Amino acid sequence: MMSPPVTVLEDEAFAALRDQLLGAAARLAPDAQHLSALLAALAGDVARVLREPLHIFPVAHHSPACAVQLVRRLQQFTPKVIFIEACEDLQALLPELPSCVPPVAMQAFAGESDDVPARRLPLSVITPLTPFSAEYQAICFGLTHPDVEVVFVDRAADHVVQWSREPAPEAGGPAPAADDENERLHGGAVGVEVGDLMPTFPAFLEGLLEHSRTSSFAEWWSLYVDEPTITADHHTWRQVMVLVGALIRRLGVSPERREVDRLRERFMWTRIKDHLQRKGIAPSDALYICGAAHAVAEVPEWGTDHFGQPDDPRWEIPPRTRTTWQYGFIPSAYSAIERQFGLARGSVAVAEQSWEKALKALKLKPLTLAKAGRAGRGEGADEAEVEAPKAKARGKKASAPPSAPPSDLLVDGGAAGLLTRPPNLLSEDHEQLLQWCTGVVAKAREAHYMASTADAIAIYQTSILLARLRGRLHPSPYDFADAAETCLDKGELGMRRSVRHLCGMVMGGDRVGRVGYATLPPLVRDVYGRLAGVGVTPGKTTITRVLLDLQKGGAGPTAVSDLLWRLRALLPGSEAVRPVTGERRLGVPRVQESWDVKLHGPALRELIELAYEGVTVEQVLERRLRDRAFAPQATAAQVLALAEDALLLADRERLSDELGARAVELLALELSAANARELFERVRRLVHHLRSRPSGLPGWLGAFVATGYQHYASLLPQGFADRGTSPAQLAGVLSFVLTLETLALSLGCHRSQVIIALRQAGPLTVDPGKLGLLWAAEWTLELKSGATVRDDFQALMDNPMSLAALPQALGSLLLALSFAPVVSGLAAELLSRAFGELPEELLLPWLPGLLDSLRPVAGAVLPALLREVVQSTPRTLAELDRWSPPFGGAAIPTEGQVPAKAPTNPRGHDAMVISAHLRAAPAAVEAWASALGDPPTWAEVGGAGDDALADPLTEPGAAGLAPGVAALRALLEARPAAAQAWAARLGP
Amino acid sequence: MSDLSTSEVLRLPAEARYADELAYLAAADDGPRLPSWRLTPRMVRTFVLGSSPQDKLAREIPQKWFGPASIVERAIVTLGSDRGLLLIGDPGTGKSWLAELLSAAVCGNSTYVVQGTAGTTEDQIKYSWNVAMVIAAGQSRESMIPSPIMTAMLRGEMGRFEELTRCTSDVQDALISILSEKYISIPELREANTVFARPGFNLIATANSRDRGVNDLSSALKRRLNFVQIPIVQSRAAEKKIVLFRVKDLLSRVGFDVDVPPSLLDVLLRTFEDLRQASGAATTDDGRLESSLSTAEQIGVLEDAVLHSRFFGDAVLRPELVAASVVGTLVRRIPEDVSVMNRFWHSVVDKHASAEKGDWVGFLEGGKEALKQLG
Repeated sequence: MMSPPVTVLEDEAFAALRDQLLGAAARLAPDAQHLSALLAALAGDVARVLREPLHIFPVAHHSPACAVQLVRRLQQFTPKVIFIEACEDLQALLPELPSCVPPVAMQAFAGESDDVPARRLPLSVITPLTPFSAEYQAICFGLTHPDVEVVFVDRAADHVVQWSREPAPEAGGPAPAADDENERLHGGAVGVEVGDLMPTFPAFLEGLLEHSRTSSFAEWWSLYVDEPTITADHHTWRQVMVLVGALIRRLGVSPERREVDRLRERFMWTRIKDHLQRKGIAPSDALYICGAAHAVAEVPEWGTDHFGQPDDPRWEIPPRTRTTWQYGFIPSAYSAIERQFGLARGSVAVAEQSWEKALKALKLKPLTLAKAGRAGRGEGADEAEVEAPKAKARGKKASAPPSAPPSDLLVDGGAAGLLTRPPNLLSEDHEQLLQWCTGVVAKAREAHYMASTADAIAIYQTSILLARLRGRLHPSPYDFADAAETCLDKGELGMRRSVRHLCGMVMGGDRVGRVGYATLPPLVRDVYGRLAGVGVTPGKTTITRVLLDLQKGGAGPTAVSDLLWRLRALLPGSEAVRPVTGERRLGVPRVQESWDVKLHGPALRELIELAYEGVTVEQVLERRLRDRAFAPQATAAQVLALAEDALLLADRERLSDELGARAVELLALELSAANARELFERVRRLVHHLRSRPSGLPGWLGAFVATGYQHYASLLPQGFADRGTSPAQLAGVLSFVLTLETLALSLGCHRSQVIIALRQAGPLTVDPGKLGLLWAAEWTLELKSGATVRDDFQALMDNPMSLAALPQALGSLLLALSFAPVVSGLAAELLSRAFGELPEELLLPWLPGLLDSLRPVAGAVLPALLREVVQSTPRTLAELDRWSPPFGGAAIPTEGQVPAKAPTNPRGHDAMVISAHLRAAPAAVEAWASALGDPPTWAEVGGAGDDALADPLTEPGAAGLAPGVAALRALLEARPAAAQAWAARLGP
Repeated sequence: MSDLSTSEVLRLPAEARYADELAYLAAADDGPRLPSWRLTPRMVRTFVLGSSPQDKLAREIPQKWFGPASIVERAIVTLGSDRGLLLIGDPGTGKSWLAELLSAAVCGNSTYVVQGTAGTTEDQIKYSWNVAMVIAAGQSRESMIPSPIMTAMLRGEMGRFEELTRCTSDVQDALISILSEKYISIPELREANTVFARPGFNLIATANSRDRGVNDLSSALKRRLNFVQIPIVQSRAAEKKIVLFRVKDLLSRVGFDVDVPPSLLDVLLRTFEDLRQASGAATTDDGRLESSLSTAEQIGVLEDAVLHSRFFGDAVLRPELVAASVVGTLVRRIPEDVSVMNRFWHSVVDKHASAEKGDWVGFLEGGKEALKQLG
């Protein structure tokens, strides 16, 4: 092992900068005390870190300069242990990393927790890894050197949730709005970065950007820290990083963030010291990779000055909650990282460009996990091996001799020199700019922009001018993007991609990582295995259209269809599986189905999160159904729906029996009729479907119907009396009781229970909105005749004091159509009369409410009502002229008809109406005629026959009596109801 | 131009108003300049966006245009390139002001302006003739009346074209040869029939994004212009700066300083913010105000309130006056706008007044009173 860094050398290199800082502090002291103190403190911070025996390696997130420096450092110094600022519980994932292609994210996921409010669930914490980050390079080094341990020392995912004040966004909730699908790869996870340096103090950030003439912190970091230091020597780079970290820590961090940072630092240093002590490693043999702001922490546990001594401070780490966490890799993307951490669009791609450029210039080879590229090809990926350049040999001897960077790239004068001179210009920069200029024009043409070679020239020229204006030797990627936007964007609407997006594509574009097949959880592998036959394979990044012929294809397509429906049920809002054609409902045979299957990008992440709940889709489905059914707040209606799902999707009778029994249990405990309609609809559907099976109705469903019958029958009086129960709910109760009555009676129930309940309910019912329901139920159970019900309504209409209640009573009669088809004729009649007779001040306000109340039950009510109306209205235009409503009242005469017809009938208007009625519904008269032995013959309208019809009834004994009229008269006298009804229809 | 004074001219152009600053920057500027530019691009930026300590200037240069620095930088480098500049944005975002400042800084003259309208003709872009002289002596360079654009070409300075998209497409296309070949031919003359642009000439045009689709630019013209979008001000702090700056600027013409209480300015800014939000949420045209609710409208409201307080009040800017000015400025359609404002005042403003008190109370009452008078 090579010796650790000699801090004396660093001290010497730092001397110039320290002198400058302290000199400035002394000069400012009289006028600006705070600034003077700050400068002195900054110098003190750097000196403190340089003196620390444990080698602190300050980094920033996704910083290529840090990654380059680490690669170079590890060529010179092989530590025994590398501590990394990452959640300690994610460390278990590291052996799986070789089968993944970065960018990927390590994820900790918890679908449920007793210690976290339900609104925050599910919990998801992710740490993305890019190949040009120092932490990834360190992990690669650790995985290729068995004697080098990599230890994550930051707080666990559980502490991340505990310590965050803001509620975590719902991981499984609706995806945030994003321009690009890849941006949604992390879902609603809480992001944790290694070396997060983003200032959280707005005024500091504003001042920083204003004075640096940059538009974002990422740009500032890239231009003022990364680019200048990427080729600097290690000591210089380290000093600059510590200095910047100290500055941001002291000025750029909000108080809330600072408090959490302190907790984390105490946590990390305690973990570091515990590990060193446990393994007997000297601090000087360890490397600690942490964010630059953490490098200069001011917590009691910081540093190893007292390491091994009794007074060495350690923090008592708070316990985790009882939440059970699952761990795995999910694919990530540059755009997802940018979105997650609020970075400027394209900044990660820019970092990658810098990384590659620096590697080329410094002739460095990055550390890689060699088989990562083969990830996702199937089981064989399990055998992936890892290797690092120049590291064929294992152990300490694996360290390759350091490759010296070209001398012209190194910075003289240490950090002081670096901060006072512009960065070295690499020859690659110029070539790269030219490629970008021509590349973006080509991309713009493809995207239908009006772009030509002249634009490439203009972009180049504008980039140079912008760079000079901004005081740079050479255009940065941000200058180039500004120039391209200036020259290419003509304000056209409807372009698919913006010029900025095109620039991002030219500068490397977005990259999406891949989780290796071997790393995928068993459930995901199982899904891939079962869908392999239809062309859905790991690594595929296009949508697969799956066509299934379930009638001819045999068991294969059916099994695939079952799986897809189950996935659809488990991932309802996901794009993973989407049915194009086909449906799955109880009693509906499945013939052909067409699906779009997309198991990559955000959909793969969702599938992986599903896999945390079980090893197969069926297991997860069963578990979810059971969990929901036995949740404390579950209702009978919800559990019944779950039982239906169990039958439909899980196809497991045992499970549906269990859930059904739970539904019965819950139904008996329900105190209200709020879900009666939904329960009724679902039970009826289940009964119709299941009674046709060879095995007959399952026991639980019979029990449900019987329990429901008894339960709802007992609720009826209360429902009629209680204003809290709406007429619609009451209609649901009556539907359940009266529609499923036959089945219930066969299962041992008794109608008398309902009859008693209705008799109790009668006197209690004062709400006019429930009168129609009560009367209809009584009519159905033959407690009241139809004529009585009509009389009751007539009484309402006749009494001006009760007329206002008629709309509500009539509305409830319409609701009754769902369980009492017998009332349809009366409902049609009353509705027609109400429309014709109700005053406008009552009718008009009622109509919107009526429509609104009928909408939910339209399927059950309207067919019967329409059938009745159709039967009583003319079918042709010719019939319309002589039509009048069968239940009374005259048809509205058309213009010119009434004056012409009126003189022809000396019997008057009433006789005409009766005649019209009889002709409109001739069956009754014809039946009478047949019963009396006369053939049914009809005279012409308005002719003598009309008179003949009317005369016998009004003028007994007159000439021209038809045979049997006396018998007819006797019949009418014996049964006067019909005549009275006519009289009622004709009015007073 | 710099010898003009406030007493003689209602509104001084930027180069006259800031003549001393421009002179100072020109003297302090020793960097390489583009042909015929009075300042280097970096100093042009400093003139527009103000100086910072890192510029190491002996005198502070105040900021004159408020918006993203990258917009100004892109505009400046465009003027240094072969292409013309088109500033495009919503009304009241400061396009014309930026164009004026850039012209003043680059060439010391911002008055070569053609105002685009539906009635603008090609003559107004190129040249026309003095009819009397033509009759007397025939067509010659002396009897020709050069347009402002042609004058700018002859002098190697910046020409400005306001509201370019208000002109018809055939008139717009007269600019193609000017921007491409950099000369104008005068076929009526036998000799000296070409006016060549001198180095330093370029064109700054402005266009209102709400006029999009009325007179679209031809592809040929688009190719010769760089488009720079001026965004709407999103930050309240930036908007505050703009409003104060412009109100002070406008009122300095009538000779008095403005002292706007910060809390009252916050009330005004918040009101506009809420109105914009309400306008965005409205689903019908009748449900939103006709006004664009731009920063320029706020400036107008404040200026109106200040003048009212000075001439008809006790010279103190009170919230009641500002509220009356808001109502008076924003209500253009009766009764639609009155309905919108009435609802807004009795819901949003009333809520602020109950919760925050302070100036909101007077603001609420003043607005109600103004609305009553409208009703």
